[in-house]
Amino acid sequence: MLLFPDMIMSEAVETYPSLIPVINRFGIRLGLGNRSVSEICSLYNLDTDFLLTVVNTFLNEEYFPEKKLQSFHTSLIIDYLNKTNEYYLRNLLPNIERHLKFFVLHSPEGNPTLQLIADYFGSFKSELLARIESDKTQGGASIPAGEDSLEELLADLKRLIITHLAGNYDDNLCYAVIFGIHSLEKDIKQNNRIRYRILHPCEEAGT
Amino acid sequence: MGLAHLLEEYFPPLSVICFDSFEALARNTTAFDYFFIDGDAFLINTDFFLQRRTRTAILCSANLLSASACRLINVSASQETIIEQLHETLASETLRDDDNKELSIREREVLQLIARGNTNKDIADVLHISLHTVLSHRKNITSKLGIKTASGLTLYALMNGLF
Repeated sequence: MLLFPDMIMSEAVETYPSLIPVINRFGIRLGLGNRSVSEICSLYNLDTDFLLTVVNTFLNEEYFPEKKLQSFHTSLIIDYLNKTNEYYLRNLLPNIERHLKFFVLHSPEGNPTLQLIADYFGSFKSELLARIESDKTQGGASIPAGEDSLEELLADLKRLIITHLAGNYDDNLCYAVIFGIHSLEKDIKQNNRIRYRILHPCEEAGT
Repeated sequence: MGLAHLLEEYFPPLSVICFDSFEALARNTTAFDYFFIDGDAFLINTDFFLQRRTRTAILCSANLLSASACRLINVSASQETIIEQLHETLASETLRDDDNKELSIREREVLQLIARGNTNKDIADVLHISLHTVLSHRKNITSKLGIKTASGLTLYALMNGLF
């Protein structure tokens, strides 16, 4: 589904609650009323076209308006990616870690596999933090030095848990961990398209 | 709802290409996994489709008994029944591809060496095989396990006592 300026934002968010953390990055908070997307953007002093392009790119895996994204000023895109990094640091990573901690602690008979999963996520987090740090020092979109991409590391972790998890564990906490990993994987994957196909070529061209 | 839509909607990541004529299909160079054709097209081009009979399904409009070498799909049935028939057709095809998901002894050796942090060149030296063979083993391991990264393969080895 594509969102347009005249659509009621609350209706779109009701249908796709995964948009909540994305609009939060623009400073938009819930209590959206019956305002349209363009009215909300005026209220928050945002570029409607940019918000819609980011939201539509996030919602639709096949949708990538390359020319339109290239038309926005680089600083607008860098600001969005910085806010995305902040969201990972403040919300998504702590959420997953909190669930992982209880996932390990609440395993009925001290299942050693669960600690291995937590350790793997710890290594992934170090790589993500290194990229965020590199973004700060380079003032833009850095390219990770390692051979494995962040979203591939998360996809592998998800598959390993779903396909190869053995022994006793808490079903509910396991689902919470997988849900968190899946959300982070999707977020990184969708934003990497902007990072690598829009921002990185701009930086290489010195624009 | 058309057959192409059903296939793409309910059996992702499968994708469909439709042809107006057999000639258009013959001109296309894509390596197709499966052919869905009507009875007339089958009869006119028997040579082509019989050679590909394990990958061909004939669309018919009644519940016919299959005396044919190919699978039959009754497209006048309900949508639910058509989806079940498509599932059976595609599942039988998948089974042939999934012959062996178990790692071979050599692949397990390569996996252990990856998990211990060895590079591809280290692995080639230790096992006295070429770099090309190591890469081929890695490709097979990834294909069988569905795990792409070295970190993921290491976790798999740890979880399965292969370390």
